[in-house]
Amino acid sequence: MKKTIAILLSLLMVLSVLSACAKTEAPAAEATEAPAAATATAAPTEEVVEPMTSGEGGGFPVTPIYFYTNMYCLHDGVENVWYTPFGYYFFTGATGKADITACIASEPETIDPGLISSVDGSTYTQHQFENLMKYATTGAQYQDDPSVLNTEIVNGMAESYTSTTNADGTVTYTFTLRDANWSDGQPVTANDFVYSWRRLVDPATASDYGYILDGIVVNATEVNGGEMTPDQLGVVAVDDKTFQVNLVAECPYFLELCAFASLMPLREDVVSASATWTDPSTIVVNGPYKISEWVHDSYIKLVKNPAYYDAANVTGPETITYYLSDSETAILSAYQAGEYDFIENFPADMIESLKASGDCYINDYVGTYFLYLSTKNIPDWRIRAAITLVIDRENIVTNVTQGGQVPATNLVAAGIKDSEGNNFAAKSSETLPVMWQWLQANLGDALGLDLNSYDDRCELAEYLVQQAADDGYDIAATIYYYFNTSATHQAIAEAVQSDVESVLGLKLELSNQDWNVYTSGLAEDTFGLARLGWIADYNDAVTYLEMFVNGNPYNYGEWVNDEYTALIEQAKTLPGGMDRDALLYEAEPILFAGTMK
Amino acid sequence: MTSYILKRIGSALITLLIVAATTFFLMNAVPGSPFITEKSTPEMIARAEAKYGLDKPLVVQFVNYIKGYFVGDMGVSLKMQQDTSVAEIIFNQNKLALSSRIGAYALLLAVVLGIPFGCIAAYNRGNWIDGLLRVVTTIGVAIPGFVVATTLLVLFGVQLQWLPVRSGSMETASAFILPVFALSFYPSCYIAKLTRASMLDAINQDYIRTARAKGLKTGKVIFKHALRNSLIPVITYLGPLTAYIITGGFVVETTFSIPGLGKYFISSILNRDYPIIMGTTVVLAALIIIMNLLVDIAYKLVDPRISLSKGDV
Repeated sequence: MKKTIAILLSLLMVLSVLSACAKTEAPAAEATEAPAAATATAAPTEEVVEPMTSGEGGGFPVTPIYFYTNMYCLHDGVENVWYTPFGYYFFTGATGKADITACIASEPETIDPGLISSVDGSTYTQHQFENLMKYATTGAQYQDDPSVLNTEIVNGMAESYTSTTNADGTVTYTFTLRDANWSDGQPVTANDFVYSWRRLVDPATASDYGYILDGIVVNATEVNGGEMTPDQLGVVAVDDKTFQVNLVAECPYFLELCAFASLMPLREDVVSASATWTDPSTIVVNGPYKISEWVHDSYIKLVKNPAYYDAANVTGPETITYYLSDSETAILSAYQAGEYDFIENFPADMIESLKASGDCYINDYVGTYFLYLSTKNIPDWRIRAAITLVIDRENIVTNVTQGGQVPATNLVAAGIKDSEGNNFAAKSSETLPVMWQWLQANLGDALGLDLNSYDDRCELAEYLVQQAADDGYDIAATIYYYFNTSATHQAIAEAVQSDVESVLGLKLELSNQDWNVYTSGLAEDTFGLARLGWIADYNDAVTYLEMFVNGNPYNYGEWVNDEYTALIEQAKTLPGGMDRDALLYEAEPILFAGTMK
Repeated sequence: MTSYILKRIGSALITLLIVAATTFFLMNAVPGSPFITEKSTPEMIARAEAKYGLDKPLVVQFVNYIKGYFVGDMGVSLKMQQDTSVAEIIFNQNKLALSSRIGAYALLLAVVLGIPFGCIAAYNRGNWIDGLLRVVTTIGVAIPGFVVATTLLVLFGVQLQWLPVRSGSMETASAFILPVFALSFYPSCYIAKLTRASMLDAINQDYIRTARAKGLKTGKVIFKHALRNSLIPVITYLGPLTAYIITGGFVVETTFSIPGLGKYFISSILNRDYPIIMGTTVVLAALIIIMNLLVDIAYKLVDPRISLSKGDV
């Protein structure tokens, strides 16, 4: 009896196994590796064709992580602070206190307009010098804080300007200067601009921003490259009050450059007299404030400049004292003790409590934190795409950085606008982040995945890694992730490592390096992944997109794509407008495209 | 004594030259450049290096440095205060003077607090006073300097608001209190422990027993006879203590936003500001060498049996 029951049970088991096999065979060609979601959504009779990718070519030389924001604390009572999304806070029109104290950084490397490259150095410069154009408030609140107002570009030293397109395609801007004096009483002339602009691009000056006019002003690239002399730069002082600039072609952000700190007018006699001419005893300025004291590593004190042409309308405080410190704890302590009215740097773990106190606000800031993905050391785009897909950006900004950053959807930072004033990132990622558009259209749709969902992104990432492995890619190889020493970079790297290893099983090894060692590794392309933060200098998507054109010095991952390069190069020759915008909107998705078999 | 001091000065100069050469070649062996930024390209870096002569062979650069030092030219800062003379930064911007003042006060406070507390602990060996002091001094040598500095800053600066949190250019005496105390906390505790140990050792010596047997008061026995002998290890410690004060000064100067030299000593390395690395290293090495010479002379004054001349025992 027992034997009979055992035989019957065995038969039953065999039958059930066979019937289970028959069921899985039904959808015919469906691959065993196909994601579960695809199987679930496919109709029982519909045949799902597995999209086959190719490891050749493809994009993903970069994976954007988050858009920067700017956090600050401002005590009640100080009103009308002006802000630009490039990170400059102006106290020129601030009211509520006669003596404002702030701490935005430690000792600046320099406040010489021709040499500065930092936001803090530029801030001190912007208060003391005035360019052809300048930032002035629109009167509207910038974001959440009623004390901080928006700015726009208005005429500065230029009373008026005209622009003419020449027969050869070059464009001539002619600026008529207003009657204004330097702080020592001498008039501001067109020659002060000619001197300053030539000095900036002169390779002997070795300015960090020596390249800023490259490809924009006639001969700037050649002068900066040492092939021409500075006097061949396309700038002319027609007379004392007329400054003329010849542009290679119309440049949509040229007037913005005319407010840039590096291009401020300078007095040749003052600058050439001493390398340390920015000392309060020798500096000569043409802006609303002037440095009166500079105790190095302690503070910089600005007072109103009585020689400023519009001195009567400068409503800001009598003095602005910028304290210089790099200790976040000390800065916050001094703010809490009431010694500083405004601060920008404080310990990350204090952000939540500061926000709760109502003193701390977040503003947009045109910058993107991203990771390079080396095309040399991770040659298969599917692995680069898989890493991009599994990084949980929401988790990084919520639990790691905690500074109000916004998960990135693009390389082009939030805040960069197109020629019609649309936010470039918001427009291009309206329905789906640019990063996922190609993947959704070519793979996600076919596999029934919605890449707006993190879980679906992980599923697609696994699918891509599997296809790469099937094509012979060694997925056991160690990928090196470089970052320069910083608690934040370290924490982000650990979050990425956790995502990549837990979801994909790839081996990611973190390498924390001193800044100088780190940048050597970048230049030599010895990394798999490496971080960088890119803050825009002017409001144009090209500042981000041209980093990845063939052979660009910032294209550290050595990505090559002729189509992308051609689009960007073509856009750079066009004046601002919808045609140019269209090329840029068309180019960015190529960064995040793959290839199919 | 005079010939000894002259010899020591001669060897100090050679030591300084070795320090300068080692620093120069080591800092150049480390990869990087002061001109590397997130946006710098190899061309930009090469241009800036050419501007400051960093493209010349290392030996030529070193010889130029040394030649400059002999005529008081220590070069210009490449990054931290671009184009400002290093001598100006170290000497004229009051940095060395300020750091030295804070360091000297901290050194003095460490000795003034450490030695008496060490004596008191030894004198009260085994009872609750000794126990209490041992706990305090053990904590003092265990807690890192930045914790002490930050705690003092938050407690007395932010919470109680008795003292300024930002020392700034140190115009007022009150600005010195927290930094000096923070800097001297560890050495005070260490000196107290050192004094206690050597004092206990001295108390058991025959000459102390003799002094006691002669009926001298305990205070006199401790502070006159025992203390003098137990000071030798403390004096020995003053040499390394100077080095501690210099490096510890970095933490204190950063925490209290003091514009001293400590910050430049450390930050110049991170910034690859070669002339400042050279300048601060040579100046601080000179300071340590001088302190060690003074310590050696102090030995002689404390214990006449110690001879400074070689072979003369």
